[in-house]
Amino acid sequence: MKCLLIASESAEILFHWTDPEYQRNIQERYGTAQEEGEELPAFEDVLSTLFAPIIISSSTMEDSYTSFTTDDNHIYVLHQFDECLYIAVNGDGEEKEDDLRRKMHVMKKMVEVMFGMVTLSGNLLRKELRPQDTEQRTRLWKYLQGLIETYSHLRDNDQSFLVEAVERLIHPTLCEQCIEFLERRLVQQLNSSVERAGEEVLHAFILVHTKLLAFYSSRNASILTPSDLLAIIIMAQNLYPSNVDLDDPSPEEVESTSGSGPESFYTPEPSPSSRDSSSSAEQPARGGTPMFEFVDPDIQMAEDSLHTLEVGPPDPSTPRRIFLEVSHKDGLYPMMPHSMYCLPLWPGITLVMLTKIPTSAVAVSVYKYLEDFDKLEKHLREGPGSSAAARSPPNMHDVRSKMDKFIKALGPSELQFAQLQSVWTEFKKRAFARGKSGFTRDLIPWCKKMKTQLCGIYRHCFLSDLADVPQRLSLSLQERAQAMVQEKLIDWKDFLLVKSKRNITMVSYLEDFPGLIHFICVDRSGGQMIAPSLSITEHTTSELGKGPVAHYIKNKVWGLVRTTRHCLQKGYSTVTLRDGDFYFCYFLWFENETGYRLDSVDIPVLADDSPPIGMLAYDYYNRRLLRYYSKKHKGETVKCYELLTVHLGVIPTEIILQHCRQLATKLWEPSRNPLL
Amino acid sequence: MAGLMSLDTRRCNYFFLYDGSKVRGEGDPTREGICYFYPEETPLDKQDLLCGQLAGVARCVSELSSSPVRTLKLRRCKFAVRMMADFFWALGCSMDVPTVSVCELLDHLIDLFCFYNGSVRQSYQLNSKESLAAQWAQYLSHMQSGPSELCYIFRCLRTIDSTNVDPLLLLKAALILQACQRCPLVLVGCILFRGRVVSTQMSPQLTMKVMVHESEIYTKTQKSNEASTSSSLGGAVSSTAVFLTTSELQYLQSAPVNKDLGSQSTPHKDDPPKKTRLSRTLSDTPSTESETSCPASLQPPQKLRFSPHVSESDDSLFSPASSQSADSPNPSPQPLRRLLSNGRNSNQTEEEVHEEESYRAGFQNKEDEDRQMDSQGDGSVFEETPCVNGGAGDGDAARGTAFDYRGADSGNEHSRDDRKAAGDSGVCCRKAKGHRAGTRHPPPLTFDSLEESPLIPMTLYMHRVNGLVLALLVEPRLTSDSASMEEVYHSSLASLNGLEAHLRAAPPGAPGASGQYVFAHYDSIQSTLKTNVSGRSGGATDHPFVRATSLLHSHFCDTETLQEAIIRNVSAAMYGTRSVAQETYFQQQGSLSRNWGIPSQQDSAFSLPSKARHRLLKHGVNLL
Repeated sequence: MKCLLIASESAEILFHWTDPEYQRNIQERYGTAQEEGEELPAFEDVLSTLFAPIIISSSTMEDSYTSFTTDDNHIYVLHQFDECLYIAVNGDGEEKEDDLRRKMHVMKKMVEVMFGMVTLSGNLLRKELRPQDTEQRTRLWKYLQGLIETYSHLRDNDQSFLVEAVERLIHPTLCEQCIEFLERRLVQQLNSSVERAGEEVLHAFILVHTKLLAFYSSRNASILTPSDLLAIIIMAQNLYPSNVDLDDPSPEEVESTSGSGPESFYTPEPSPSSRDSSSSAEQPARGGTPMFEFVDPDIQMAEDSLHTLEVGPPDPSTPRRIFLEVSHKDGLYPMMPHSMYCLPLWPGITLVMLTKIPTSAVAVSVYKYLEDFDKLEKHLREGPGSSAAARSPPNMHDVRSKMDKFIKALGPSELQFAQLQSVWTEFKKRAFARGKSGFTRDLIPWCKKMKTQLCGIYRHCFLSDLADVPQRLSLSLQERAQAMVQEKLIDWKDFLLVKSKRNITMVSYLEDFPGLIHFICVDRSGGQMIAPSLSITEHTTSELGKGPVAHYIKNKVWGLVRTTRHCLQKGYSTVTLRDGDFYFCYFLWFENETGYRLDSVDIPVLADDSPPIGMLAYDYYNRRLLRYYSKKHKGETVKCYELLTVHLGVIPTEIILQHCRQLATKLWEPSRNPLL
Repeated sequence: MAGLMSLDTRRCNYFFLYDGSKVRGEGDPTREGICYFYPEETPLDKQDLLCGQLAGVARCVSELSSSPVRTLKLRRCKFAVRMMADFFWALGCSMDVPTVSVCELLDHLIDLFCFYNGSVRQSYQLNSKESLAAQWAQYLSHMQSGPSELCYIFRCLRTIDSTNVDPLLLLKAALILQACQRCPLVLVGCILFRGRVVSTQMSPQLTMKVMVHESEIYTKTQKSNEASTSSSLGGAVSSTAVFLTTSELQYLQSAPVNKDLGSQSTPHKDDPPKKTRLSRTLSDTPSTESETSCPASLQPPQKLRFSPHVSESDDSLFSPASSQSADSPNPSPQPLRRLLSNGRNSNQTEEEVHEEESYRAGFQNKEDEDRQMDSQGDGSVFEETPCVNGGAGDGDAARGTAFDYRGADSGNEHSRDDRKAAGDSGVCCRKAKGHRAGTRHPPPLTFDSLEESPLIPMTLYMHRVNGLVLALLVEPRLTSDSASMEEVYHSSLASLNGLEAHLRAAPPGAPGASGQYVFAHYDSIQSTLKTNVSGRSGGATDHPFVRATSLLHSHFCDTETLQEAIIRNVSAAMYGTRSVAQETYFQQQGSLSRNWGIPSQQDSAFSLPSKARHRLLKHGVNLL
């Protein structure tokens, strides 16, 4: 009983995702109100009809709704993002209010990654999210629905998506080798090839399931933020979902097949979404992308089974256009266009490359102009002396000359450019009218029009059908890259697949930390986490054992994270809880670069409907905490860490605290984990 | 950053009752449906907007999930919502009040209204909006009158500080209550002193309801005390109609031995498990007979009359409410005039006149006159008081006069009964009309659990001796049964006087404000709160404590297995612990060690549990 929908202010459904139960529920509800014999309209129209009163009432209220709950624990969470209203519903008790809010924000993040600055114009975004063409719409919605399901699955099962930080595989020598390989061989070769069609590989990394084996960024690339990296992992997982049960053989199986070669790991996934076979018919997009030429016959077989699927991206080698944050010398540029190549090496192991596209300079200019017109609009609306943005209006004469040049460079050949030019001419006529200053409130609608036009240009340059754009790494180049990495890792792949399930294990900590059951340690400045594996599947036995106890502890850990986030939101950064037979601790602290502990500051108290604490949808730690902290500690590089521990309740508190302290100091010691 | 959460003294922002049945057609203005809106000074447009939008959206959400909306949050305000048939209640509080508490507060408000007025629908059929608005306002102000902000988090009974009172006095109070129960028409009682519970036989929830009326009378008397020169108004006896739910009545009428069992198996209305149970019983028993036979069978035969035999007619069930004529809507205390020094005849005539007047002039006047009369009578009471322990002669004399008085009153009762009958027929007509209207526009939303549970009329008898009040829940028959009335009055009079004198002499509890620490200890079974949080004015230091308490209380409610928690920020650390029945919160004042953040044994926050254990022992809180 889950649902997430995006609606425009006029109650038009721009996107929806519902699980089968909720869909049934809605249809039954609508069916009863329906005259007999009448045919049920399209599901999105049913949703629109049923939710319309909520959507319309929401726009009527000055203080907007944030949530509803009902007697039998249905939860509705609402949030207005610019002109789009997001509504998330849960009726089965599996998600709480904060889960729903997080899911909405993650959805918003994915939309931004996919549509970039087009999201800044409500009108354009509406067209983009709800294409006129039904087939196109179905394809897009299926893709987005797949993303939500992949995210929900990861959030419920993967610790790195629980705490929203990237987990690295702990194998120092191999990691080092791989990074070197990516740098010296792969990226260098690709970037010097003539077949790259003007693209430049900025980042290349290898994922084993959701864990990072090696990450390389070229020298002139800006840092890939944890938020973007997590979003990309979701997209890669959505494309090539790891099948936890299948590619994680029981120890006996490993034993028996270890001599007979690697075949056992080639076992292809029997169905595109065996994770949830009941819904497989509805989500062919997931895993549905036919893979590249595999040498392995088994894979070929898997591919055959995929041919039955109706919709899939037209060409597998087509990169996906994504929009990522880039920091240049002169500032932060959100939502800059990149191409993402996601090349499967073996099931569960993927090579991801992010390239800079040749026309990306246009995006920088568009962003600057958007900012200028936004500032101008604020200034005109609020008058001088209100907010900081309004106080310093952009130098419009400067903007004018630059804009003229920009338009000239674009050339009037395309319709889109001509439109921009005519709006700009009109704007200039009003703003720079002779004799009087045109910068009055009357100009506000023209600022808006200019912004829409700029978003239109952006859309035209980066989101129009990629099929007729020749720019991309050539197919043979992609194949070569794939083959190179496969060759490099062929001897390691079995090991890597097992390692990704047993990255670090509690066994190695039991002796030093008696009574410790589990821990998670997170470096928030780098967006990385480390935790003993907690994978619970049918076949495997983790250190926690299997069955109800393991599930119980897993649920406790998930609950603990929820509780501590709530406390953090209310300004408490140290929390201990005695819950049943367990004792939980949570600490958040700051250090400088040399590892010296810094005095803590007051943690800001956030409103209930503020973005969820985490790094995926919104980087709370870097944007709120560290920014807040560095105001008080100027000129220092501040790092932020978190530690969560689960102990047996019988262990005395002093011992528990001692353990926590030791873990906190040891875990990030270079000698132990050189890559962290 | 704490400054961002501005210290808002008004935690309750909005309360309203909206009657959807009044706004059916397109053209019906929203304000027709607004029965009550707090704050009353809110501009009408805003009232319209809030009521219309919230009720509309809640209804849509309820239909979508086939379950009534319970909470509704805006960005700056959270509402607890109750939907019952066409009625829509919403109580809006500031964001830092825990959501569970807001829901409890709203349920309490509605329960209070039903306790004093009976069925909501009927109350609004019989009375004007304005008069009932006064009722809501009274309950709201009572709800907000708690000594500290903690009263928004924990719904609690205020009790006398037992550490300052001789235990024998408590025993004596219990004995008085037991003595009253010798009269079979008396169900249960409680004794209150200056707005605090001394002893009670009722469940905490019921005691809380009784106290609302008592405290209102008390504040009124205090005000008039200041005005008038006469020193005391002691000895006033009054009674008022109240309404119990079937489960409350069952609990009261079950034998004391079974009570403990009963209280466990049938938790109180506010407890979540009960709600499902109640709805199940209601839906599982489709016929009215099976529904009503259950409580009746539990009752001793002589009480059958008051069993909810709804099958007879709804009107008989609610007859006490209908006895209030539309002009004097208040189910107000009907002061029983005791004849002490006044002559019987004169009293009767006065009574008659009085009765007439009251119908013309409304309740307020009536009570004022009452008070005058009572103060006339006071002289004699005053003379009696020295013989607290029962001078036989005095007692006899009093009994005699009281008997006379009863005669007068019972004579009066007849005329009242006549009027009642007339009133009843009026109600019938009105009710029938209401039904027809209802069938024409059937409400699309009907949830089993939303129907009002049947309410059984009872009488709340109050006997006041200065600050001391004996409150008894009695069968309505008692007021017409002069012999029993007299018995109850006299069996308790002397002991009450004595108890009052002793309690008054007891030293006031030392203010527990030792600056070292703040604590709150809540007993959810007895609904009592021990705390040294000083008051609403001292918000500056208490506010972080209340905020932390609110946070931890929410988590304790959310996670059943959670037993202990420590949370800290730069300036404060709080320790919270809970058992099945109790929640305790403890915060050390003064500066904490700076050495924190990173896990460390030196952090003084982690020594809070042992400190709490030691410090709270002297407050009678045992955390071992």
